[in-house]
Amino acid sequence: MSDHRLEIEGYRIATDRAYHPDTHVWVERLAGGTVRLGLDPLGLETMGTLAQLALAAAGTVVERGEPFGTLEAEKFVGPLESPLSGSVVAVNDAVVDEPRFVHDDPLAAWLVELAPADLDAEASALVAGDDIAAWFAAKVADYRLKGVLAE
Amino acid sequence: MSTDGGPDVLRVLDFGRVAPLRSQTLWHAIAAGVATGVSPTLSFLRPAEPYVCIGYHRRLDEIDVAECERRNLPVYRRMVGGGPVYLDDGQLFFQITVPASSLPPMRTTALRRLLAPVVTAFRDCGIDAELDDAGEIVVGDRKVCGHGAGQLGDAVVVVGNLIERFDHDAATAVLHAPSAVARAELLRMMRRYVAPTDVDADSFREAAVRAYGSALALRPRWGALTAVEQERLADFDRRFADPEWVRGPDRPGPKHWQVKIRAGVSVLAVNDGSSTIVASMIDGRIGRAVVSDPNLDGRTPAVGDALAGRSIGDLGDALAPFGPAGHRVADALVGAARSLP
Repeated sequence: MSDHRLEIEGYRIATDRAYHPDTHVWVERLAGGTVRLGLDPLGLETMGTLAQLALAAAGTVVERGEPFGTLEAEKFVGPLESPLSGSVVAVNDAVVDEPRFVHDDPLAAWLVELAPADLDAEASALVAGDDIAAWFAAKVADYRLKGVLAE
Repeated sequence: MSTDGGPDVLRVLDFGRVAPLRSQTLWHAIAAGVATGVSPTLSFLRPAEPYVCIGYHRRLDEIDVAECERRNLPVYRRMVGGGPVYLDDGQLFFQITVPASSLPPMRTTALRRLLAPVVTAFRDCGIDAELDDAGEIVVGDRKVCGHGAGQLGDAVVVVGNLIERFDHDAATAVLHAPSAVARAELLRMMRRYVAPTDVDADSFREAAVRAYGSALALRPRWGALTAVEQERLADFDRRFADPEWVRGPDRPGPKHWQVKIRAGVSVLAVNDGSSTIVASMIDGRIGRAVVSDPNLDGRTPAVGDALAGRSIGDLGDALAPFGPAGHRVADALVGAARSLP
């Protein structure tokens, strides 16, 4: 996996997956046709220190844009929006037990595994491949310009 | 939508004294309205009767449910964050609800933006309040306003309270505690770090309306619930009264009992099989520690004295004179302290 990792503007990012450009949820395709979802380090930084995570149980059907879970940081509860429609087939209980694992390595700490309903169609809304580095760098620059991130 | 208020308007609602259930469901209904385009809203209410409320992700067993039943206190689960809290008519609650898209993406920044006007309101009322680095509204080192926040659909709501009177005993009694020692330390810390404010509630409300209007660049205008919000209110009434909702989903339990009093201040209890330790933690240092361990041969008061005031990184050195039992106590405390949120 390390071959697929880049450092961009001080953040580690992986190029072996796709990213939702607004929610910072990453999508990693697995061999069996399922995908794993997680949070990229920039999105994680905007959320603060995770205190609680709740994820949809296996078998739950989620629609694109709808929550596949919730998280709590700084006493602030918010939704985790799914970038894809599909069925949850597995949940990473380790990060539910210890949300700090997500901070330890956000690119390794997957949250749920999804059987996507229409991956080819919905993946077009994600940032992938050669576009990742430029998108991520622009996002960091935009956040810094707006004062969102501390230097 | 005629009661919405229109563009550039901060809708203001004051529900007065309401039933405990409605003191939660009203502002959830407002969030549902704001999420669908109703004006940003500042609302106020006061629970007519005492009750207990638990944060969205928290386990019900953090509450002493039997004690709540004995006191005839209903328990509800809200959809915003934070821990279990005791609410009564000595607290005026406010809620600021805005579209999620109007806030910066950094949550701490968004939260501070929505809490800063409360500090302005306190100051307008002559109270030297500040929003500290940890995001607590304090006077000195004492919390004077609890808060929680959440994104409900496309609306973000931040809730908080003006504490006119605070029943520290009841607020402690409704929480689960593993021992009388733990409960006593919890009460001591609650009294030390949570304080009421001597402010006229009407003056505070008026100051808060001015402060939020100014901070959000909106014109405050008194309004009422929309028809859609009324419908959603009925939905939330049903959901919040459902015992399954109150019980919540199964969640992993904490490795150690701990209660956060305010940011940086907690009480925790550890039992490693030999030692039982109850300790208060203040900004990374032990406030007070009560240790029980038969292997310490009556030296437990001395261990407690050695721990007081020490930082987590110093515990090994502090307890080295107490031999293996001391090391075990230090290791247990370090592990528990590092698991604090």
